[in-house]
Amino acid sequence: MLIYILRRVIVMIPVTILISVIGFIIIQAPPGDFVSSYIAGLEAQGDIIEPELIDSLRARYGLGEPVYVQYWRWVSNFVEGDLGYSMIYREPVVDIIAQRLPSSFTISLLSLILVFVIGIPIGILSATKQYSLADYTFTVIGFLGVATPNFLLALVGLWLLFSWTGTVSIGLYSPEMQNAPFGLAKFLDLLSHIWLPALIVGTAGTAELIRTMRANLLDELPKQYVTVARARGVKPTKLLYKYPLRIAINPVISTVGWLLPVLVEGEVLVSLVLGLPTIAPVLLDSLMQQDMFLATSIIMILGILTLVGTLLSDILLAIVDPRIRGAV
Amino acid sequence: MTAQQAGERDATSAPGGDAAADPLLSVRNLQTHFFSREGVVKAVDGVSFDIKPGEILGIAGESGCGKSVTSQSILRILPRNGKIVGGEILFNNGDRTVDLATEEADGRVLRDIRGKEIAMIFQEPMTSFSPVHTIGDQIIETIRIHQDVSKEEARDQAVEMLRRVGMPNPVRNIEEYTFNLSGGMRQRAMVALSLSCRPKLLIADEPTTAVDVTIQAQMLELLRDIQADLGMAIIMITHDLGVIAELTDRVMIMYLGKEVEHGTVEDVFHRPQHPYTRGLLASIPKMEPGRVEIEPIEGVVPSPYAMPTGCKFHTRCPEYIAGVCEKRDPPLTAVGPGHEVSCYLYGGREELE
Repeated sequence: MLIYILRRVIVMIPVTILISVIGFIIIQAPPGDFVSSYIAGLEAQGDIIEPELIDSLRARYGLGEPVYVQYWRWVSNFVEGDLGYSMIYREPVVDIIAQRLPSSFTISLLSLILVFVIGIPIGILSATKQYSLADYTFTVIGFLGVATPNFLLALVGLWLLFSWTGTVSIGLYSPEMQNAPFGLAKFLDLLSHIWLPALIVGTAGTAELIRTMRANLLDELPKQYVTVARARGVKPTKLLYKYPLRIAINPVISTVGWLLPVLVEGEVLVSLVLGLPTIAPVLLDSLMQQDMFLATSIIMILGILTLVGTLLSDILLAIVDPRIRGAV
Repeated sequence: MTAQQAGERDATSAPGGDAAADPLLSVRNLQTHFFSREGVVKAVDGVSFDIKPGEILGIAGESGCGKSVTSQSILRILPRNGKIVGGEILFNNGDRTVDLATEEADGRVLRDIRGKEIAMIFQEPMTSFSPVHTIGDQIIETIRIHQDVSKEEARDQAVEMLRRVGMPNPVRNIEEYTFNLSGGMRQRAMVALSLSCRPKLLIADEPTTAVDVTIQAQMLELLRDIQADLGMAIIMITHDLGVIAELTDRVMIMYLGKEVEHGTVEDVFHRPQHPYTRGLLASIPKMEPGRVEIEPIEGVVPSPYAMPTGCKFHTRCPEYIAGVCEKRDPPLTAVGPGHEVSCYLYGGREELE
């Protein structure tokens, strides 16, 4: 088992390097660099830029040098924890990410939990009561969930909440709690706001999970080991939970890893609509304005998150499925 | 062993197989139908048989004759669209007799009988165990469902049962998964699983079909040993008449959900009466010097949605009597002691007039 984990970790190293190279190249690909777009922006506002500033900026980030030198400089800084400086926010990238990542993470995690808590039981119900009214109902809701864009759901959610309670749920905290120190009151305030974005971000995932769970379970239920267990006198509930569910859930576990970045992506429009301080809108801004260090750093972090998630999935899968343990 | 010897064993050594004993299981006019969009399939359509404690009964017939559905009906583990629509399955459960046909399918009574009083072996040993649980886990689970014993005690019993079925290293094997075991070992593990609570009746549904001949031979030997040892009754379901001859005391031949002939192995194999039984026996390849022509039964098995009227076999029967066979189901007629045939050649025609 330890060797299995170790091997997975070693494999992650070249993949991480590859992600950094690709991320860097893509960000560098458009003509111009952030200094020129920065200057263009300032000049449009009527500011006068001193040529020394331009030169010092270019020199600081080595923009005049060949790409591989730039890459190397960036990677070495990245490893040391210096993610560079954001031109749009005029702050070190580390600070921006440190401010935004926790809320992104909280929403994603909560979405993930909601996806499982809602999706798995409904999937089981749909499979065990195949072609029943409940199954058809959830199938329709499921397809609607997949087909409806998140931002629309966010708008509808906002409107519904407003018409029912009269409150506008924007952001993660009430205005009076925005700057309060973190404590129980603030936590409760967070909970009263976060469920809406978490639910909306998780809708598509939930709908997909219902379909996956249903299909997997329908594959397992008629298998002979289930009949054999039934013929041994195993109770109907245990017949479902102990055997087929255990196997049907494996593919779900193996997708947890890449569900995380998908959720972050899903946050972009929802965050814009609901005014959430997450990382997703920042990524959008940085890409549009060629804020190189910010964009590359976020992409790197998302990439690493995916890898870590995949590693976790692999480990979990090896724990629950002896066939995988046996194969390594 | 030949059919001749099997017949002799029936008369002399079958434990508890004497005529006086009450039947352990008595199936009366069982009808199990499958309902689908295409129509109703009468998979089992009026089958009756008895099995006494310690007796070995064979049920033989081609694929689709309803032999497996019969066994699934007894344990009430039919697929969702299968239903028992008539008949009785009377099981003598010690102090009282229960009708398994009318009990709730997954209710208390049946759950207590499954695995404890009546156990079943299935066709494919590989898929009989959950791939993500050890074989020990599943054997111990079965023991603890039916007996009030500690985990350790159940484990000891499981190890003992694995030893009894000839697993080479029971203490280690109990921790293994099916994908670690060879085909023969899986068979043995499966037998151990089904016998873990010492059932009174073991139903073996084509246990030798998916394995090669050497393992098949081992399996039959194992079943015979275990039967001599534990004394349970066995219903052996197979399309392989060789297996029937090897193992069983009595045999029932089925065709399209109907019983066509039953009797001792000796009677049925040496003095087959029904044209279908004769056809089946003639279509077995023989290991004699020189080439003996195999005589297959003419025609094809009718579609289950368009069953022939009267005797189901009349469309393929070489001795078809026009104006008689297609009229009505032939009744069972005794042609010897304990030997009955369902065919108008031997009687029942007077009822038609």
